[in-house]
Amino acid sequence: MQETVIDAHNLSKIYDEKTIPVYALNKVHLHISRGEFTAIKGPSGSGKTTLLNMIGGLDIPSEGFVEIGGTNITALKGNELIDFRLNNIGFVFQSYNLIPVLTAKENIEFIMLLQKRPSKEREQRVLELLKQIGMEDKINKRPRELSGGQQQRVAVARALAPKPQFILADEPTANLDSVSAENLLDMMLKLNQEENMTFVFSTHDQRVINRARRVITLEDGKIVADTLPTTVEHKNS
Amino acid sequence: MNMLVKIASRNIWRSTKRSLIIITAVSIGLWAGIFIMAFYNGMIEQRINSAIASELSHIQLHHSEFRKDYEIKYYLPDGRKMLEIISKKQGIKAVAGRVIIKGMIASAAGSSGITINGVMPEQENVLTNLEGKIIKGNYFNPKKENEILISEKLRKKLKLNLNKKTILTFQDKEGNLASAAFRICAIYKTINSPYDDANVFVKTSAIDSLAGIPKAINEIAVLLESSKAVPEIQRNLKQQFPKTEIKNWMEISPELGLTVSVGDQMVYIFMGIILLALAFGIVNTMMMSVLERTREIGMLLALGMNKFKIFQMILLETFFLILAGCPIGILLAFATIGITNRTGIDFSQFSEVYSSFGYSSIIYPTLSWNQFGNIVLLIILTALFSALFPARRALKLKPAESLKK
Repeated sequence: MQETVIDAHNLSKIYDEKTIPVYALNKVHLHISRGEFTAIKGPSGSGKTTLLNMIGGLDIPSEGFVEIGGTNITALKGNELIDFRLNNIGFVFQSYNLIPVLTAKENIEFIMLLQKRPSKEREQRVLELLKQIGMEDKINKRPRELSGGQQQRVAVARALAPKPQFILADEPTANLDSVSAENLLDMMLKLNQEENMTFVFSTHDQRVINRARRVITLEDGKIVADTLPTTVEHKNS
Repeated sequence: MNMLVKIASRNIWRSTKRSLIIITAVSIGLWAGIFIMAFYNGMIEQRINSAIASELSHIQLHHSEFRKDYEIKYYLPDGRKMLEIISKKQGIKAVAGRVIIKGMIASAAGSSGITINGVMPEQENVLTNLEGKIIKGNYFNPKKENEILISEKLRKKLKLNLNKKTILTFQDKEGNLASAAFRICAIYKTINSPYDDANVFVKTSAIDSLAGIPKAINEIAVLLESSKAVPEIQRNLKQQFPKTEIKNWMEISPELGLTVSVGDQMVYIFMGIILLALAFGIVNTMMMSVLERTREIGMLLALGMNKFKIFQMILLETFFLILAGCPIGILLAFATIGITNRTGIDFSQFSEVYSSFGYSSIIYPTLSWNQFGNIVLLIILTALFSALFPARRALKLKPAESLKK
């Protein structure tokens, strides 16, 4: 049996609770096991990003809680939660969000510096990751000198650098042309297969959905469909 | 920390125009702060030096009752002996005895209350360079007795002139009125017009007998080689002449000390205004920088950079901006002070105003290393303090909301 990485229990996010409550998420249950390559799809406003934010500990649910590797992150506060994110969750954002004043190498190394990893280990890991994303020749380039696809690859490498339990990617291909998007997906699938890295995406992109091995569909804050790796579709209760 | 330093130092050049504005503000603030302090120092130093060199000297000795009402009966009977002893001490540049009497000067045109300074011409000249202040006429002639030096101001007021006679009236030791005619041998002028208005000079020998204290003096003025030696020599003299009142220049002229402290307050007010303007500039710039980078800061929080590090990063950015601005401001200030210290800043067109407060109309700015360090420290502290507000704003950002922006 595969180890559970993400366990979301009865998650709700309600805005304007006191006036007219709006459910961005409505009693969502979700279990994601190690090594999954999961896409969360749904129309705009369906709650994809909200769900990702809850799982990533970037937002607090109005109801329910999230466990990551057995730790209830909803109960964590302030720097405790920040430290948990640092050591357990990798993030890839839609608009790359690299630190513009740092080079590709420094952007990847940055997270490990926050983790206070020894310099030798950092150096080794950065080179290993740059090789994995095929960008050894762009080591000293700053984000503005890289294409969108290259920046997103560096963002993936940065997310992988701290050896997280899983990577959350919010619309990672939204700003990429089709070739770059395909390359990025190939790279992430390879990492998923070779390193058993868990990926969870929110996406509109059919290319991502086509490559995902599990697709969760959200509508109005509820999971309305969950296609498991076995391609058996389960209606959510 | 190294990475934070790297990010912060590179971040300041992301918005070149904005950084240049704040660097310019720091430079100008520092330059203005240092220069204002140097200018004020120059003014005060000149005032003090001139007061010590021309009027007060470093230390004065009197009868313990004399300075209460300036009564001639309180004189120093052994004054001349004391003069001899003091002049042989180490660290003494000049010493002179005086007969000081409050009296009246009169001419056909009017009269005026004055201080009659009975001086020993040679010693007084070494002590206060009295001869150097003469603008018309000649210093005391050893062969003539009843000569008087009056100021240009008094000359105009009493419509007097060189070689004319004037009458001095005062109370002698017994309280009887005494008066004598003196011929004006010279007209003097100092930078201190209130002083000029109230002081005339005659020889001690021309006045001591009239005052009822022949061959005696009631004031000994001592000029030292260095101002730093004042406390030590004052203490030494007190031990040697325990019954005599021995005061230093600040004790004799507390209004001079007051001038220094009022001036200090003015400089601090000026500095306060400069620092306030600088603080607003920094708060504004750093706040813009934080607001423009809301998403980036949200991303850093999301990735796991804790709030203390975000706080440090904003403070470091401000610190680097100041570091870039400081050398320019310091160089500007040094250049300005260096040049104006040599050439002086000429306010001759306002000389009447300056003179009425006892200041020279040419100011030579000067600054001690200690004051310089204090200003730089104040600027750095103000800037860092100003950065606390934007840094606090950055800490309040929530990653999920910030990432949407």
